[in-house]
Amino acid sequence: MENLIEITFLIIGIYLFLGVLFTIILMWNGLEKLDPQTKGAGWFFKLLIFPGMTAFWVVFLRKWLKQKP
Amino acid sequence: MSANYTAILWNQQKKLYDRYMWLGIGLFMLVYAVFQLWLQPSITFETLIIRATALAAFVLLHLILAIGPLSRINPAFLPLLYNRRHAGVSMFILALIHGAFCIIQFHALSDTNPLISVFISNPKYLETSQFPFQTLGFLALMILFLMAATSHDFWLSNLSPAIWKVLHMGVYVAYALIVLHVATGAFQYENHPFNWILLFIGFWGISGLHVYAGFSERYKLNTHKNILAENGFYQVCRVNEIENTCAKTAFINGENIAIFKYDGKISAIHNVCKHQMGPLGEGRIVDGCITCPWHGYQYLPHNGQSPPPFTEKVKTYDVKILEGYVWVNPVPKEEGTFVEPVIIEKA
Ligand code: FES
Repeated sequence: MENLIEITFLIIGIYLFLGVLFTIILMWNGLEKLDPQTKGAGWFFKLLIFPGMTAFWVVFLRKWLKQKP
Repeated sequence: MSANYTAILWNQQKKLYDRYMWLGIGLFMLVYAVFQLWLQPSITFETLIIRATALAAFVLLHLILAIGPLSRINPAFLPLLYNRRHAGVSMFILALIHGAFCIIQFHALSDTNPLISVFISNPKYLETSQFPFQTLGFLALMILFLMAATSHDFWLSNLSPAIWKVLHMGVYVAYALIVLHVATGAFQYENHPFNWILLFIGFWGISGLHVYAGFSERYKLNTHKNILAENGFYQVCRVNEIENTCAKTAFINGENIAIFKYDGKISAIHNVCKHQMGPLGEGRIVDGCITCPWHGYQYLPHNGQSPPPFTEKVKTYDVKILEGYVWVNPVPKEEGTFVEPVIIEKA
């Protein structure tokens, strides 16, 4: 039981860590291409979507990969 | 709508909404804190915060869950629905403070990672009276986090409205978890019957409101079952039953239709807003556009398109007027299709 919980947390931790890295990269470069409506959005907007993006980063990764020729 | 995003769309109405909401939350917690200090002067600051935020978040969650069915039953509640998302995020913030203080107070001192400790410090998963109730609260908090983190419109378009809606239905799972968290946790120590009565009233109140709203809506929609039909058109109501700049709604052959009267004309569009499926027929025509009562998305009545630069489109329907009655053809046109409005002839 204990092991299972530890492993679950470890996996979630790794997933979220990758999410943070991916989000930083995407916000740096590429977010406007993925969603043109984010053009000109300020830092506060980016801060607001940051936590969600670290959780749902795979959705954006998929979009990103699809977009690249 | 689909022009560029702003961080938070605060108009005058939303600012007022938020101000009153936080004033209410602050007052509620203050009164509660004074009561607690009076009943239990030795209470620590941390415990006070844990209890006050828990209670405030739980009460706010009940209000949030009640707003939906209440506004379906009576449109007078619609203004509360208008900014429900901000209420949801506020509730999450309260729950987060509660959770953070609990984890610091009860789990930060052991050698184990505090988050893991929530799940393993009490392994009595098979007992009801000493069940590790904190795990339920933790899971609920995670659901609330996912909802709060995706409450911006950015998420609606990037996750797709269908997935977004499903994700946000998670509030009911979170509510169930929180009810169990309270019942197996705090109420095991503070088990005054009055507490249990309140919990039951809350739970049955919320459930009852949802069931009642569902039935009353079904009743309203069914009223169009036995209406007159001719050449594909169905009779809906008399022209003068529709108020100017307002709509009458009809549910015919599975189509949810809103028929608007404006500038001496009649047009019909799909009754479901592209944003979060708000009831367009409960909105009004403002500046020539049908305006969704929930968050203000706008559509032109003659083609169901949002005015530029926005790009949303809804289905449109053919209408006609015969001897003072409005008739509608429930076969939908492609989204955004122009349909000539019908001129209302003066009698
Ligand atoms: S549902 Fe949000 S504007 Fe219509």
